Amino acid sequence: MAATRAGPRAREIFTTLEYGPAPESHACALAWLDTQDRLLGHYVNGKWSKPEHRNSVPCQDPITGENLASCLQGQAQDVAAAVEAARTAFESWSKLPGAVRAQHLTRLAKVIQKHQRLLWTLESLVTGRAVREVRDGDVQLAQQLLHYHAVQAHTQEQALAGWEPMGVIGLILPSTFSFLEMMWRICPALAVGCTVVALVPPASPTPLLLAQLAGELGPFPGIINVISGPASLGPVLASQPGVQKVAFCGALEEGRALRRALAGEGAELGLALGAEALLLLSDAADVDSAVEGVVDAAWSDRSPGGLRLLVQESVWEETMRRLQARMARLRSGRGLDGAVDMGARGAAARDLAQRYVREAQSQGAQVFQAGDVPLDSPFYPPTLVSDLPPASPCAQAEVPWPVVVASPFRTAKEALALANGTPRGSSASVWSERLGQALELGYGSVGAAGARREACGLRVDPAVPIGGCKESGSSWHGGPDGLYEYLRPSGTPARLSYLSKNLNYDTFGLAVPSTLPAGPETGPTPAPPYGLFVGGRFQAPGARSSRPIQDAFGNLHGYVAEGGAKDIRGAVEAAHQATSGWAGQSPGARTALLWALAAALERRESTLASRLERQGVELKAAKAEVELSVRRLRTWGAQAEAEGQTLQVAALRGPVLRLREPLGVLAIVCPDERPLLAFVSLLAPALAHGNTVVMVPSGACPLLALEVCQDMATLFPAGLVNVVTGDRDHLTRCLALHQDVQALWYFGSAQGSQFVEWASAGNLKPVWVSRGLPRAWEQEAEGAGPELGLRAARTKALWLPMGD
Amino acid sequence: MSTHNQGTELDLSWISKIQVNHPAVLRRAGQIQARRPVKKEWQAAWLLKAVTFIDLTTLSGDDTSCNVQRLCYKAKYPIREDLLKALNMHDKGITTAAVCVYPARVCDAVKALKAVGCDIPVASVATGFPAGQTHLKTRLEEIRLAVEDGATEIDVVISRTLVLTGQWEALYGEIRQFRKACGEAHLKTILATGELGSLTNVYKASMIAMMAGSDFIKTSTGKETVNATFPVAIVMLRAIRDFFWKTGNKVGFKPAGGIRSAKDSLAWLSLVKEELGDEWLKPELFRIGASTLLSDIERQIYHHVTGRYAAYHDLPMS
Repeated sequence: MAATRAGPRAREIFTTLEYGPAPESHACALAWLDTQDRLLGHYVNGKWSKPEHRNSVPCQDPITGENLASCLQGQAQDVAAAVEAARTAFESWSKLPGAVRAQHLTRLAKVIQKHQRLLWTLESLVTGRAVREVRDGDVQLAQQLLHYHAVQAHTQEQALAGWEPMGVIGLILPSTFSFLEMMWRICPALAVGCTVVALVPPASPTPLLLAQLAGELGPFPGIINVISGPASLGPVLASQPGVQKVAFCGALEEGRALRRALAGEGAELGLALGAEALLLLSDAADVDSAVEGVVDAAWSDRSPGGLRLLVQESVWEETMRRLQARMARLRSGRGLDGAVDMGARGAAARDLAQRYVREAQSQGAQVFQAGDVPLDSPFYPPTLVSDLPPASPCAQAEVPWPVVVASPFRTAKEALALANGTPRGSSASVWSERLGQALELGYGSVGAAGARREACGLRVDPAVPIGGCKESGSSWHGGPDGLYEYLRPSGTPARLSYLSKNLNYDTFGLAVPSTLPAGPETGPTPAPPYGLFVGGRFQAPGARSSRPIQDAFGNLHGYVAEGGAKDIRGAVEAAHQATSGWAGQSPGARTALLWALAAALERRESTLASRLERQGVELKAAKAEVELSVRRLRTWGAQAEAEGQTLQVAALRGPVLRLREPLGVLAIVCPDERPLLAFVSLLAPALAHGNTVVMVPSGACPLLALEVCQDMATLFPAGLVNVVTGDRDHLTRCLALHQDVQALWYFGSAQGSQFVEWASAGNLKPVWVSRGLPRAWEQEAEGAGPELGLRAARTKALWLPMGD
Repeated sequence: MSTHNQGTELDLSWISKIQVNHPAVLRRAGQIQARRPVKKEWQAAWLLKAVTFIDLTTLSGDDTSCNVQRLCYKAKYPIREDLLKALNMHDKGITTAAVCVYPARVCDAVKALKAVGCDIPVASVATGFPAGQTHLKTRLEEIRLAVEDGATEIDVVISRTLVLTGQWEALYGEIRQFRKACGEAHLKTILATGELGSLTNVYKASMIAMMAGSDFIKTSTGKETVNATFPVAIVMLRAIRDFFWKTGNKVGFKPAGGIRSAKDSLAWLSLVKEELGDEWLKPELFRIGASTLLSDIERQIYHHVTGRYAAYHDLPMS
């Protein structure tokens, strides 16, 4: 017999049947780092760039602390060079037929397939995540993403006619992320014809490797550029001329700061914040499988954050027992070991978890930790926190990795209240075998944008949109919604900075100039002042004062109410009370109501036309404007009926429902121009998509909007539409700073736009601002285009896995 | 052998509320195989352990005393002596857990095992194996005769008819009678999961079989079109755990049919380890019903020890 290769331990293992190490060789990752002499720079325009006189930071193995390479810290000129490369590349890339871009993306998928081992070992080595998850999850999904978006590029000319690529996209990634976060965003951007500059935190080589793989692919080197540098370069990237959009994913406060920093800048901002997930477990669930769902979501190195777990009281004991038994079997260890569930994510993540758990304990929570976890430093055991008092600070804070916070609920209704009772709104999974209950929970979780019934963990598929709402940011990736993030209606001018440096955020719109009598009142009887249209009736403003409105010839036209902060508060409250009723209406009922308003406007045509005439519009044009306004109401009314909900099929067995849900209370500040047409063009899509609205009409001539209110008072349910007149800057300030307004559209001055963008950082409501630019309301594209519909609702994808 | 599972009174509330989420179980099944690779020395030790769980089986129409004898010899010496020596495991007395034959071959097996001085049990299938579509009276008689011939473990098949028509009381009653007919012999109940229609039925049938006093629950006869699969196993293992939590009785688990490769056997071991824990990893509570698995395990051991892949003629046949 040949010499024995067996070691001495077999006897012992035969008795204990313990698991052994199953290390994955990372030689190829090290060899790749060697090709760069262990010094990583930026990857720009298809070439490595290692500028001199830069600081460098070490890239370390988070588990052993071994220095793997040094990474240069970028500076502003590096960013500028990368943006320049991306702009040049955009010129050719965006002009290509979609089919050619599709071919290129497919080739990139092939390259990733060829070098997948390098990719997964490098990623696992530097992030410390379990190699199994990177290998079987991330790398496969990266290829699927490229394939899916290649198909989208191929059909772009037909499917996305009327839209064009925005331009250069800036991408800002946080320090704790998987390279997938980058893939989710670059794939749709590249597919539609944009080019990308990604700012990655130093010491994250995987995006650089991806950029290299893409760059060496040939004819389009500048489409993906990666700069490694500190987060402070984010605003620099965003303010580079030519950058049209910045997609940020990362921590909440960083996103909020970026939102404030970018107010008035050229680039649009898409935020995806936080990493907490939510799981609802009802008494009709397969508890053992749901426990596996918890493991997948929190303790499998799949998701970057922690998990909030809501369990129905009747199965609470059973769930806790099973969960704890399951936790004991979890294994954590070096990420490159193929047999571990969880790796380690470095000292910062551990400290965060430790701090959270200690605080939770001090606030009265029960903490359970288990699992086969190495005792030495960077590891943190899977942790289950329960009995956390709902009012304690920890219950409000975001749950960090690898913590699960469990709390009981009694009824489905209460589950929804609890689930929606945080400022965050990311995806959720619902575990219930009763279809009716599962759908109730899935539809009802307002916060949960990606609610999935019986979902097995938090699954992802390139065809299914994922996004958030509230403080989780309102950007999307995946599916058609992910594509629109990087598109704009054809013909939209490029976005330029309109920053006004001397705008004082503290005082903008704070004080209302006092109104004085405006001279002699002419006419047989002085017109009584209009009230505010709030809660379905005209009311006197809190300030008990009115402002005079002049016509185009300088004569007094009438008095309107001088609304203020209290009136905005009342209007938002009234709108909230109408929300559930209106959102619960069938599409048909919404259509009927919009058409009824259209008919009423038609009957009022002569009054409206004469009002417009006094604003200096010729009678013929005035009549045309009224007619067009009527048509707008009819068009959007019809759309409410037509849009409905779509069904998709994903890789998972079972359908995915793509729902378009109302945003909630939508505040709209109408432009000064086109007092009737703009008002109606904005109102109609908002109502058609099920929102309730608070509107500030044209400042120059609010009377037309108030005329329309006369009809709405009789036709509409109270609170559905509220119109507040007064000082526009002041009202805008009140709305923009209101935490319970879910979205804000602002059409007005550049300064007002900048203020709105800045103030929206508060509750991170999605805002749409005119940036001081006029809009052609009479044209179909700008006055009634699909952009309005897109902004008036948000998507929710509901997965329904099947099987018996 | 340890004491029997005494079973419990029939309590239908244990099965009435059960929910099994099919896609989630499929997903878990996929994960088990990917998440716990076992390599090198660990693999060798685990494979030897797997040998001790095998019910070395021959269930063919053409079985004669000659091949049953050969099977029994292989059960006694499952791995070549020199390979065991190289692993320093030759003194562990490694044999398979049992041999499993048709009732008519029990005498042959008992005799052959006695001849080689091996005291492992002889298991006999019974109760109209594999379809179970014979009269209850003959099924019970079959058990009694096999026990008389010296079988100490009886692998009975349940009536799928009773499961598919939801006659749980009748199923409980039948298995109770099987239990009684076995006397001191161990009762291993084959659920034939490939023919039960849904995972929920698998769970319910498992629970009824355990309440009626089965010492083992077994996935399949090996004669259905779908045999031992991981999703089915997960549901059965969870039922075993639930039964243990409710009653304190540990019931064994036996997958059978279609387990051919050494790699499969490792996955089965880690499945049981993950779902039930180490205390189930002993022959009293875990068996693998297989006929060709052993030779693949032996080939892997050969490779581990020598660094070469074995030719078929390098290893003795069973």
